[in-house]
Amino acid sequence: MSGVYGEGLLKGLGITIRHFFGKAITEQYPERRPKLAPRFHGLLSLDPTKCTACGTCANFCPNGVIRIKSERDEQKRRHLTGYEVNLLYCLFCGLCVEACPEGALRFTPHFELATYRRAGAIYDLYALSREAAGERRAAGG
Amino acid sequence: MASVETVFLSGDQWLKNWLFSWGMPESWVFLCTVVVYAVAVLLFVFANVIFLVYLERKVAGYMQQRLGPNRVGPGGIFQCVADALKLLGKEDIIPASADRGLFRLASLLIFIPATMLFVVIPFGREMIVADLNVGLLYFIAVGSTATIAVLMGGWSANNKYSLLGSMRAVAQMISYEIPLAFSLLGVIMLAGSLRMSEIVAAQKDLWFVVLQPVAFITYFIAATAELNRGPFDLPEGEQEIIAGPFVEYSGMRYALFFLAEYANLVSVSALAVTLFFGGWQGPWLPSWLWFVIKVYFMIFLFMWVKWTFPRIRVDHLMGLAWKFLLPVSLVNVFVTGTAIKLFQAMGW
Repeated sequence: MSGVYGEGLLKGLGITIRHFFGKAITEQYPERRPKLAPRFHGLLSLDPTKCTACGTCANFCPNGVIRIKSERDEQKRRHLTGYEVNLLYCLFCGLCVEACPEGALRFTPHFELATYRRAGAIYDLYALSREAAGERRAAGG
Repeated sequence: MASVETVFLSGDQWLKNWLFSWGMPESWVFLCTVVVYAVAVLLFVFANVIFLVYLERKVAGYMQQRLGPNRVGPGGIFQCVADALKLLGKEDIIPASADRGLFRLASLLIFIPATMLFVVIPFGREMIVADLNVGLLYFIAVGSTATIAVLMGGWSANNKYSLLGSMRAVAQMISYEIPLAFSLLGVIMLAGSLRMSEIVAAQKDLWFVVLQPVAFITYFIAATAELNRGPFDLPEGEQEIIAGPFVEYSGMRYALFFLAEYANLVSVSALAVTLFFGGWQGPWLPSWLWFVIKVYFMIFLFMWVKWTFPRIRVDHLMGLAWKFLLPVSLVNVFVTGTAIKLFQAMGW
């Protein structure tokens, strides 16, 4: 025990007044976007040109989030026709991304996934990627 | 500058002349001005309380390195309006087992002493509703009656937490009333009067906070406890007894308790300014502006203390009042008296 009686009280007051005139350390979220790590687990995204519709990701998923629709052509090759991700059950554990043998599945930093209806949390990544590709084509000419 | 200084006084004079021009008898004019004074005081109290709720949350935010309310309006300035509207719109719930009459009465009764205190506060040069010759005594006497309303609220709710809270409040407020009164005694001895205007006039050359630093610190601690503010907010102790006497109150009745609490914060700060910081006296600016500036400085001190220190234990609380503050304030009275007599003997 050192110092004068009440020194601790003054020390505490000093700390709070410094904070009072200092800057806020909280993240001002909607105005300022958070800086996310490059490997942040946000919404999944699929590259349909790489995907072989093998179903490994769906098998690895602990919660049965992924549903793959595919059809076979004349050479009996499998083609992707739908890739549904039900984010209501997704843990964002990343086992699907790790398991993909073709590197077709990856995470995006998109994290604002709240919806008003349960149906809104189910994403068809195949349709999304085709839409994005279509937009790219339209923008390219 | 002179017109800004006397804007309220000339308004008062204009009102009186206008009423006289109608041929009203003097007693009626007096009655009318009393009503106007009451409305003015209530407006002052309400405006301050609404601003203080916002200020408290802002100060708390900045002291905790965050921004506080910032969604409603620029810088969150309309947050208090939104809160007030919410409280007004809420259902007034009275518990089934409550003593309905007392329950209703307590929420009204808490607000009466809180506003009555402002009668003897000098807001500026000659701006005092009633300059009683026992102004300070009136302040302490009326201020201490708020305890009854708190006890009524806690008892009538018929809830063990609210009763516990109100018992704590009563014990605390009665204990701290004593060092509070004794700490003011030093100032009274120096000013030689209980009249607020004379106490302010006595500080023309030197504020009493310089002559009575011990009294000021004792007053500050005792006033914090009287207000049931942190670190002495045991009656409300959110973590143990939710909100103490206010547990069962909702909507506007809860708002009245809240209003009274902040009105008391203003009045206690105003008393501190009047007794220790020279009241409305100050250079350049109009006297009422000086008063408001000083009051807000005091309020900031109260908030600073609240958001710095953790709540103290109930036995420490009582120990602080009876074993520390009371002897210190008594010694202060003794030393002040001796010093006054010594200076008189030396012919100063």
